[in-house]
Amino acid sequence: MDGVFGNLMLGFSVALQPSVLAYAFAGCVIGTLVGMLPGLGPLAGISLLLPATFGLDPIVAIVLLAGVYYGAMYGGSTTSILMRIPGEAASVMTCIDGYAMTQRGRAGPALAIAAIGSFVAGTFSVVALMLLAPTLATFALRFGPPEYTALLTMGLLVLSYMSGGSMLKTLAMATVGLLLGMIGIDAMSGYTRFSYGQTELADGIGIVPVAVGLFGLSEILMTAGQAATPPAQRPTLRQLIPSADEMRLSIGPIVRGSFIGFLIGIIPGAAHIISSFVSYGIERRISAHPERFGQGAIEGVAGPESANNAAATGAFVPMLALGVPTGPITAVMLAAIMVHGIAPGPMLITEQPQLFWGFVASMYVGNVVLLVLNLPLVGLFVNLLRIPYSYLYPAILCFCVLGVYSVGNSVMDVWIMLVMGGIGYVLRKFQFDLAPVALGLVLSPMLELSVRQSLAMSGGSYRIFLERPIAIGMFGAAAVLILLALKPLVFKSKDWRSDVGLDE
Amino acid sequence: MDASVSAGVAQRGLRGDHFAGAVLIAIAAFMAWENRVYPLGSLASPGPGSVPLMLALILGGLGLLIIARGAGSPLLNSIDWSESKRGLVLLIACGVATFALERIGYRLTMIALLVFIIGVVERKKVLPTALVAFGFAFLSYFLFATLLKVQLPRSPWGL
Repeated sequence: MDGVFGNLMLGFSVALQPSVLAYAFAGCVIGTLVGMLPGLGPLAGISLLLPATFGLDPIVAIVLLAGVYYGAMYGGSTTSILMRIPGEAASVMTCIDGYAMTQRGRAGPALAIAAIGSFVAGTFSVVALMLLAPTLATFALRFGPPEYTALLTMGLLVLSYMSGGSMLKTLAMATVGLLLGMIGIDAMSGYTRFSYGQTELADGIGIVPVAVGLFGLSEILMTAGQAATPPAQRPTLRQLIPSADEMRLSIGPIVRGSFIGFLIGIIPGAAHIISSFVSYGIERRISAHPERFGQGAIEGVAGPESANNAAATGAFVPMLALGVPTGPITAVMLAAIMVHGIAPGPMLITEQPQLFWGFVASMYVGNVVLLVLNLPLVGLFVNLLRIPYSYLYPAILCFCVLGVYSVGNSVMDVWIMLVMGGIGYVLRKFQFDLAPVALGLVLSPMLELSVRQSLAMSGGSYRIFLERPIAIGMFGAAAVLILLALKPLVFKSKDWRSDVGLDE
Repeated sequence: MDASVSAGVAQRGLRGDHFAGAVLIAIAAFMAWENRVYPLGSLASPGPGSVPLMLALILGGLGLLIIARGAGSPLLNSIDWSESKRGLVLLIACGVATFALERIGYRLTMIALLVFIIGVVERKKVLPTALVAFGFAFLSYFLFATLLKVQLPRSPWGL
C-alpha cells in the first residue's frame, strides 16, 4: 500500500505541473463540448484530436485524450436531460428519466445528481484502477500466445453477448473487423495481403479513419437535414440543488452504478454504453416502485450516469495493464502512446511509472475539474446547442476530413473514412452494432499473431489451448457465454439481457 | 379482403436480416476467393492465408445463421431511407473535396466544401455561408497548421 501511495505522489507531481493541468482542463472542456454535440461522440472527438497530440509529451497527450473521454461522458448527460438528445450513445438511458424530470421542472437536480454520480463513480474507478492495474500487469507477465488468444476470443464473445443488438450480428461485425485487420503486411511471413497494389494499404487500415467514418460520418449522414433542435432550459445555480429525498434515493444507484460500471468497463466492448443499460435495468428491477421509471425517477439518472463514467475509467485497466484495448476509444489512445515509441503491455507500469501514475493522478484532477466546470457553466455550454445544425454538421464534416487526413497526411485515409461512413450508414439501417468492427480491426493483428504463434509452439496441436490453466479458464468463460446465449433458443425463455434493454 | 389475410400478405417479402445475411455470405465468399493466392501453410506453421480463410468461413456461417434467424426482422422495403439522398450528396461532395485536397490546398477545399453544403444543400443565405466557410477554413488552418504544427496541404498559389 505504501508503494501505491508513493507512486501516487509521483503521479501527482506530474499531474499538477501547470502544463499537464492546463491540458487536462482543455481536454475536459473539449470533451464536454464533444459529448454535447450530436454527431461527435468521444471516439470521433478523440480521433480528431489525435494528430494534435503527436507533437506533445506522451503524458500530456494521454492526459488530454483521457480528459476528452470522460469529459464527453459528462457532456452527453446535459443534452440528454435538458433536450432529450443523447450527445453520445451512453447517455441514451439518461434521456428517459432525465428529460421526464426536466418536464416536471426538476432539470437542475437531475443535472446535479448526474454530475455528482459521475464524480463519485469516476473517483471510485480511479482508486480501483490504481489498485488493480499493477496487480493485473504482474499477473499478465505469465501470459503467452495461448493466453492472449483465449483473452481476445473471450473479449470478443463477451462483447457480442453484452452488446445492445443481436449477438449473431455483433459477432458478424467483429469478424468483419477482424477481416479488415488482415489487410496489409503479414507480420510473420511478410506477405502483403488484400492491398490490390495500393502501397498505402500495405501498412493496413488505421483505426482512426475507420472510427471516424463509422461513428462520426455515418451519424452525420443519418442526421443531416433533421429538424431544428428544440430550445433548452438553462437552470440557475440555485435550481441545481437536489432535495434531501432526491439525494437519499440517489445514493444506492450511484454506488451500484459505480461498481457495475467499473466491472463492465474492464471487459472488452462498448462498455460505457452497455453499463448504462445494465445499470438502468437493475435499478428498475430492484426498485420498490418500478412504475416511477420513465416518469422522472432520479434513480434512472443516477445509476446510468455513474455506470458510464465508471466504465470509462474501467476500460483503462486492460489497456494499461495488458496493452489490450477494450474498445475503439482505448485503441486510439494506445495509438497515441505508441506514436511516441512507448510499447503498451504489462511492462508499461514498471518501465513508464511517470506516464502511468501521472495519468492516474490526472484522472483525480480531471474529475474535480469536471464537477467544478459542469454545474456552474451548464448554461454556457447549452448555448452551443443554439448553433443551427445546418451550420454545425458541415463544420463537423470538415473536422472529420481534417482530423483523418492529418493523422498520416494520407488522402487514402480520407477515402477509407468516406467508404466506412457509407458502410456505417447502411449497417445502422440494418441495425448492426458498429463498435465490434472497430474493435475487431484493432484486435486482429494481435489475435492472428497469437493464434499462429500458439500453433507453431505446439507443433500444430490445438491442445495447447487446453493445457494452460489461464487459457482454459478464459475459454471456459467464453463457452459459458455461448451456452447462456443459446439458452433462450432451447428453453424458449427470456434471459436477463432482455430485462435490461439488450436484445437476445 | 379479410384483415388478417391482408396483414399476412403485407408481412410477406424479403426481410432485412435475410438481405444482410446474404451480403455477409457474399463478402465471405469474396474474401475466401481473394485469399486463394496466399499460402495456407500447415497446422504447425500456419501461412498468411490461414487466418483470413478461417475468418471468411466464420463470417459465412454467421451470415447463414442471421438468415436462419431473420424471419422476425423488419421487411427490407420497410426500412426508411428518406435521408439517403442528402447523405449521398454529402458523400459525393466529400469525395470531390478529398480529390481536391492535395491539389488546391486545405483552405480552398474547405471553403468550397462548406459553400456547397451550407449554401447549396442547406440553402442558407450568402453572407452567413461565406462567413462560416471562410471563418472555418482560416481559423482551423491557423489552429492546426500554425499553432499545433499539423501539416496541411497548401495550394499552388500559397493558400
